Amino acid sequence: MAFLRLRNVTVDFPIYQGTSRSLKKAIFAASLQRNFARDPVDRVTVRALDNVSLDIEHGSRVALIGSNGAGKSTLLKTLAGIYEPSHGTVHAQGSISALLNISVGFNQEATGLENIMLRGMCMGISPGEMRGYVTEIAEFTELGPYLDMPIRTYSAGMSVRLAFATSTCKRPEILLMDEWLSAGDASFLSKAQQRMAGFVDQSSILVLASHSLQLLEQWCDIGLFLHQGHIRAAGPIKNVINEYQKTVDQAA
Amino acid sequence: MGEHIRLGADVVDGEALVPPTRVSLAWRDLADGLGMFWLWSSLAFQDIRLRYRGSILGPFWLTITTAIMVTAMGLVYAELFKMNMRQYFPYIACGIVTWNFINVLIVDGCDSFLSASGVIQQVKLPFSVQVYRVVLRNLIVLLHNIVIIPVVLLLFGVPIGFYSLMFLPGLAVMVVNGVWMAILFGMLSARFRDIPPIIASLVQIGFFITPVFWSPELLGRYGFYATLSPFASALDVIRAPLLGHAYAIASWPVLGVVTLAGWSITFAMYARFRGRLAYWV
Ligand SMILES: Nc1ncnc2c1ncn2[C@@H]1O[C@H](COP(=O)(O)OP(=O)(O)OP(=O)(O)O)[C@@H](O)[C@H]1O
Ligand SMILES: [Mg+2]
Repeated sequence: MAFLRLRNVTVDFPIYQGTSRSLKKAIFAASLQRNFARDPVDRVTVRALDNVSLDIEHGSRVALIGSNGAGKSTLLKTLAGIYEPSHGTVHAQGSISALLNISVGFNQEATGLENIMLRGMCMGISPGEMRGYVTEIAEFTELGPYLDMPIRTYSAGMSVRLAFATSTCKRPEILLMDEWLSAGDASFLSKAQQRMAGFVDQSSILVLASHSLQLLEQWCDIGLFLHQGHIRAAGPIKNVINEYQKTVDQAA
Repeated sequence: MGEHIRLGADVVDGEALVPPTRVSLAWRDLADGLGMFWLWSSLAFQDIRLRYRGSILGPFWLTITTAIMVTAMGLVYAELFKMNMRQYFPYIACGIVTWNFINVLIVDGCDSFLSASGVIQQVKLPFSVQVYRVVLRNLIVLLHNIVIIPVVLLLFGVPIGFYSLMFLPGLAVMVVNGVWMAILFGMLSARFRDIPPIIASLVQIGFFITPVFWSPELLGRYGFYATLSPFASALDVIRAPLLGHAYAIASWPVLGVVTLAGWSITFAMYARFRGRLAYWV
């Protein structure tokens, strides 16, 4: 059974701007450290997640809601194991597939087909096994001749199709998706939702971040409202969306 | 603060959440990465393929470039140093091919994590996959260059025998060193963006103070000191057998120390900072 457990997770981003990436500053700072009580490289940090504890059990379809900079993408990356938290622990059971960023395609110069293989292999699927999935993925994307072109020539929606079809070819137990899903057109979205519905029956987990409340309500049953790195509200999606809209209205 | 939130049904409790130690995580990263050879070998071959997509000769441009460099430098420096062409040409050919390999292991090693930031930001993989990928990609480049050596050896009548194959242990040790260099320099470069140019210029200087295209004998009684550097030792364990010479006395001991020290420092740093890499790239 898949699950995700977070205990007191804090994620701090050190901001390396200009000089703090420089070696000279770090060396001089180290030699002065005895005299000055300050961060040796004048580091500013941003706390993107603040002491978050959370259990997500199998069969959950979780919507991440929150304003820009609330920490949704960071939470997804932490769940995916890409960011190791500065404090706290993340414990995940089940195969994870994460669709976090389309603009960073796997390799912009490589063709669609090559990227299917590449992404599949990066998900831990051997080339031999991956070849078995290629036809089905190609069909799902409906990209036809475009699959032989470098993916830098793709539109946003085309990249989404490719990334989604590849990441879900081998039913992941945990699927993490960031907001870009909305770049897909209506026919793709309904197709994708059908595919997703199949997964969740098989006791898996979906965590989806989006600003499209309508999409979230369609896809998810549980809401998680993030605000400045904290969980502001959690529960049935309707309630959480109401809560979120109240705060938005208050601010306006 | 930090109230505990549960979502979904069937909460199984009492799971111990003891995080593994940094050392065991680093060790697992290195071992798991090595086990995914099908991944890093595909990535390495793809790097080469993409680099030369659309060019007629593809990676054999490397061979041609190196061949031209060897010929040009061979002609000029044989005259300058008043060396016998028969001896000097094989010497400089093996020297430059080997040096190019050492050079690219270090310089491309700086790029190991930075050039893979797209993948690192999207999937959780052992970071070491990127390292093995870089080392293999440079080994592939070496294989394109190395064809020059038998040609030159045959052309200038250097005997090729069983002893020539003794360059293989040297090559193997350089590959082992290439791995720690790609980890250490790759990590430093991700954190401090001025590391790659610094290292590149140090290696550039290394080319001139290492007996790549000149022979240590030219330094007279100081010649011995020239053979003591790690660069010279790395060069020697690959080149000497190819030319049918004996290894310099210091080469293997120096390389042994470099390998041990390099790996110890690298492993300590990797255990400490591996978790930060995703934030740095
Ligand atoms: N790579 C990074 N380096 C530094 N700070 C970062 C980085 N990524 C995120 N942050 C900071 O972390 C906080 C949370 O960002 P995050 O991307 O998780 O927000 P989000 O909820 O996904 O927002 P959006 O709705 O705009 O996508 C922000 O304050 C942001 O500035
Ligand atoms: Mg985001």
